[in-house]
Formats: sequence, C-alpha cells, structure tokens
Amino acid sequence: MRLHNGPLSSRRQKVDVTAYLFLSPWIIGFVLFSGLPIVASFLLGLTRWDLISQPVFIGLKNYAEMFSAGSPFLHIFLNTAEFSVLSVVITVAWSLFLAVLLSKQRTATGLFQFFFFVPAVVPSVALAFVFQLIFNQDVGILNYFLGFLGVKSGPNWLMDNRLVIPSIIFVSLFTYSTGQMMLIFLAALKDVPKELYEACDIDGAGAFKKFRHVTLSSISPILLFNLVIATINALNGSFSIIYPLTDGGPALASEVISLDIYHQGFKSFRMGYASAVSTILFALVAAIAWLQFRLSGKAVQYEN
Amino acid sequence: MKKKLATVVVSVACVCLAVSVLSSCGKGGNGGVTTIKFASWATRGDATTSEDYISLFEKKYPSIKVDYIAVTEGNYSEKLNAMIAAGTAPDVILAWECDIGRFAKSKAIIPLDDYVKKTTAFKADDFVPALKQLGSVTGATYGLPWCLAAEIGYYNKDLFDKAHVPYPKDDWTWQDFVDTAKKLTVVKDGKTTQWGCDALSFQGLWYSTIGATGENIIDDKGNLVLGEGAKTALQWQYDLTNKYKVCPPPSPSGTNAVDLFSAGKAAMTRTGNWMIGTYKGIKDFKWDIVPLPRKDRSYTTLHTGLYTINAKSKVKDAAWTFIEFALSDEGQAQIGKNSSNPSARPSVTAKGYYRSGGESGPTNWGALDASVAGGQFGYVMASPGVTNKAVSDFNAAMLGQMKIEDAVNDANAESKRAAQ
Repeated sequence: MRLHNGPLSSRRQKVDVTAYLFLSPWIIGFVLFSGLPIVASFLLGLTRWDLISQPVFIGLKNYAEMFSAGSPFLHIFLNTAEFSVLSVVITVAWSLFLAVLLSKQRTATGLFQFFFFVPAVVPSVALAFVFQLIFNQDVGILNYFLGFLGVKSGPNWLMDNRLVIPSIIFVSLFTYSTGQMMLIFLAALKDVPKELYEACDIDGAGAFKKFRHVTLSSISPILLFNLVIATINALNGSFSIIYPLTDGGPALASEVISLDIYHQGFKSFRMGYASAVSTILFALVAAIAWLQFRLSGKAVQYEN
Repeated sequence: MKKKLATVVVSVACVCLAVSVLSSCGKGGNGGVTTIKFASWATRGDATTSEDYISLFEKKYPSIKVDYIAVTEGNYSEKLNAMIAAGTAPDVILAWECDIGRFAKSKAIIPLDDYVKKTTAFKADDFVPALKQLGSVTGATYGLPWCLAAEIGYYNKDLFDKAHVPYPKDDWTWQDFVDTAKKLTVVKDGKTTQWGCDALSFQGLWYSTIGATGENIIDDKGNLVLGEGAKTALQWQYDLTNKYKVCPPPSPSGTNAVDLFSAGKAAMTRTGNWMIGTYKGIKDFKWDIVPLPRKDRSYTTLHTGLYTINAKSKVKDAAWTFIEFALSDEGQAQIGKNSSNPSARPSVTAKGYYRSGGESGPTNWGALDASVAGGQFGYVMASPGVTNKAVSDFNAAMLGQMKIEDAVNDANAESKRAAQ
C-alpha cells in the first residue's frame, strides 16, 4: 500500500484501510485455522510424535524413511497419480457432458437438472455404503445385471487390484464435486454468445467443430478453474470416498497419499511421519496447480 | 444518540459474554453435586427394557452425576488420543487395549493399584488370567475391564439338520471344520448358492486363527510379530476359499453391508460374541454357538475396554467411585444384561446375566464361557494401523494378489516401522 501526499491520497488510504478491515475476519481466520496449522505441520514433519507425548526432534528422518527402499510411499504416490489423472479427466469430461446435455434441453430443464444433481447431495459415507452393496460380488446388483448378459461370475470389484481404482472413480462421478462442476459448466455455457454458433452454421461447421472452436474456447477459463478444483479435490478430497469404500485396500491397491496421512497419523499414531507426508502432498498440489496455470497459456481465452 | 445506542449495545454484549464464560466454568460444586465425564463407544443399552448401569450408579450415588460422552466406535481411539492431546479428555476414559500402554507411558492416566487394594466391591484375584497380560505391558494396574468379548463360531441348526450333518462339538478341530463346511456347501449350475462358512469379516478372526497354530502374535512390548504359524493359518484360510471353495472370497464390506450367515446363505460364520445381540433378532432359522476350531491349541482373542482415570482429572475420587461401582456385582450384572457380554470377573460370569440370545438363539452358553476363560489379549495390544494393514494384505493374499509369505513379511515390516 503506497502512501501518497494530499487530500486524494488521504481518501485513498481511508478506502484501503476500510477494505482491509472488511477483509480482516477472513485473513484472521485463514491465519489461525489454515496458515498456522500449515506451518505447524511443516515443523512437526521434523519430529517423532505420537500425539500424547512431547514431540522429539529427529530432523529429516521421516523424509528419509519415506524415500527409502522398501517404503510403500512410492507405490502410494503412483496410486495417487493414477487415481488423480483418471479422476480429473473423467469427472471433468462427465460433468461437461451433462452440462452440455442440460444446456440443449428445451423442456423440463429443471427436472433433469434435479435428477443429474441429486446424487451429489448424498453424503460420501452413505454413498460409499450403497456402492459397497452394489459392487458386492455375491449379492451386488451390478453382478446380478451382468448375469443377464451372460457373465456367470462377476468380478470382485472392490477387492480386485486392477478394478478397484476404476470402481472408485465411477463412484466419484456421483459425488458433490462432480455435481458442482456440472452447475458451473452449465452457467458458463449459458454465457457463450449465440451469434458465434450462428456464424459457424453459416460457414457450414459441424457439431464437433462448433464444440471445439466455439464452446470449449468460450468456456476455457471455467474449464481451467474446474480442472484445478478437480485436481485439488482428487489429491486432497479423495479420502472421504476411498476411506469408507475400501480403506485403501486390498493391500494398498487403492491407498492414496491423503489416506496414508490418516492411517499413519490416527491409526498408527505416527504424527511426525504423517506431517512429513502432508508436507509432500502440499508441495505436490501447489506444484500441479502452478503447472496447470502455466501450461494453460494461450489455450485459455479471456474476454479482455 | 447513535453513540449512546452503540454504548448500550456493546455493554449488553459484554455482559452476555461474561455470563456465558462464567457459567461454563467449573465442573463440580454445583449444589454439592460432582460431575464426572465418561467416554465410551458402547451404547447405554435399551432404556425401555432395563436401566443401564450409569443410571443405577447415579441413583446409588446422588452426589455424583455422570456426563456421558458417546463416541463412534470406528473413530474411538483417535478421538480419545486427540482429546488427551488437547487436554479435554474425560475423567473416566474407557481405553482400548492398544492405547493403554501409551497412555500409561506418557502419564496421561494414573495407576489404580492403591484404589484396588482398598476396595471391598470386588476381589483383585477375581479376574480372568489374561488380564495379567495387560498388566505386564503397563507395569501396574492402569485399567479395569468393562466386560469381556471373545470370538466364537455360529452355526445355522436348520441347515445342519437339512444336510444331516451333526452339530460341531466344543473341541472340534480345523479338519472337522473343513469336513463340515464341505458337506454344507451347495453349488447349483456352477454357482454357489449356500456357503459352508462365511468369509472372515472381522479382523480379529485372522489373529485367532493364527493363534490356534501356537503362535504368540505379539512380543512382550505389545508389537505384532508373525512367523510360521501365520503362514500356516493364512494357507488354511486360502484353501478354504480357493481349494475347497467353502468360503466366499473376502469383500471390503464384511458384515457392515452383507452378512451371509444372517441371510441364511452361509451355514457357519466366525465372529465376535457381540453379534449375539444382532443375531437374536433372527426368526428364519435356529442357530447356536461353538468355540473356534482348534489346531495346535484352542485360541480366541479377548476384547474389552478398560476403565482408566485421567491424570488431569480434578475429581479422581469420584471417578474411582464410578469405576468401583461398574466393577461391583451390581454394576457387572447390569453391564452383562445391557451388553450381552460376559464379565471379566468369573464369579459374575457364572451367574449368566449376559445370556440373552432370543427365541432362535444359542443354548450352548458354555462355549462362550470357556472361550472367555481361556482367551488371550493378542493382536488387540498392537497398533490398529499395523493390524488393519496386515488384514488388508491377508485379504489380498486370499485373492491371489500377493503371496502369503509377502503378506506376513509386510506385516512384520510395518510393525517395526510403527515401533520406531
């Protein structure tokens, strides 16, 4: 905040101070409930702490253990990468698909919107419980329907290490974040100028070219926003669906970093190690978000 | 005028704030009534049919009120640990076996030996032998058991009668179990319509099966240590699932979502005796209980919660009065009726207060008494993070996704990591 001299600068200072005062509750809240805990987590990553005794400083030993031979962290990291990439691509594409369908709907739009969104308001734990039943090998309805297609013995969806991650991604299509992305896309699609489509019709462009060159270009800022949100959600928020669904099993096949933090911190009471893992996750999320903004470059077109 | 209004509003707000702060201070001294906080994962029982022991305690000791904190079982351990770390732990903590060692070591709870020496509500030698195992880890008596639960077998008597298979005997063996399960497995058109036995859904059964081979499962510090016995046990369960095909493959839902035994699709199951409370609602078939089959020895894992006193409690004597009542004949009788679990005190278990199995329910209560009397605190002493992960690996081994030897080695490696 640069200070100027004169009555105009005095008024400017007053406006600046007023603005900061209005922002202060959020700033205070962020510092107290996010900023300080993040710094504390960085520091705890350098200790051995079981939550109830005093933390003992051990330097970088937690990180050394994480990256040592025989550590499951690399396997968990690869699971996280696989889940995140597939989840982001599929959930963003699916939410965009639903939004495009809704934008073209002429009658009963509200009704279709309701049915597309209603699974998103089911709590994650309840959703996971329902899908445990659906995916059950013996009594699940999915294998029951597969039986009509000639599949006598359906797969054990959540206990097969090749199918567990795709199964979890399928469940994540019904979560709140996917529904939210759909609504955001729908709002963006409504703002695409119709004249552009009319111009395309005059030039004889097909549906795919219209979608690629008009729709996607026009909603590119929103697409970037949803990609970033979906990435952060896949990396941080996947815990809420994976923990009740598979708890990281079978044999770490669906263990992701966010779940590993929980297991190490609250099941094995290794808070220091869990804090070190969370520091790595923090750095990973920040790096990927920065990369996404950097690589978006010319692909994202803003109105100005 | 505006200034005056602002002054009045601010003054009223300050008074309200002061009143709310002052009213939240202090636990006791409220008309001579002392309030103690008590946390547990278990429910307080069905108040419409019988009073729970907490209400009985408050009637007997009107100067002590119990502020009951119910915590969900799935997050119980981490919730308690977080409360201790934050300094908000209750006065009486019902601690799990895996936590009591750490609580004692970090002085979060106090030893109870002095209280136990003076009490007349129960005798110090009137407890099952397995409790000495807990004392050897903590070095003193830091907790006293709420009640005891054990892992047992359940069988569907109607399906046994239909297949003309004799009921299992209390001293049956692994081979008897396999032979029985084979006779009770029904396959139609290449699909199993009735399983001889359900899959292992509760993790304790893995360790009870391992213990039956003679393996100790934990070392003297309470860390998980698995050896050849674990490999033998896993191989046996693998054969039940994949060779004899009498058990379904494992699923992540377990009895949380699908219980093949209660659905009448599995003739037998192995799980904790707490399922008696659930199964007593079964009306479609008659069922009974039996000890787990033995190999080199009979083995079942005991489960309990231990009453402990928070070291930072300001009402320790009142907290002990509550624990003393809970361990008394009157308290244990009511806990048995509410929880359907035997007491850790053999003299109370013998009176059978816990025996409530419903119309179709068990008659062979001796199976549970014997299991409790001879059971051990095995894997429950180890870190839940380690034991949960090991079971996840065991399930993967049953599905052929990893070798049994690797599952055992991984469990030992994780145990060493957690112990560092």
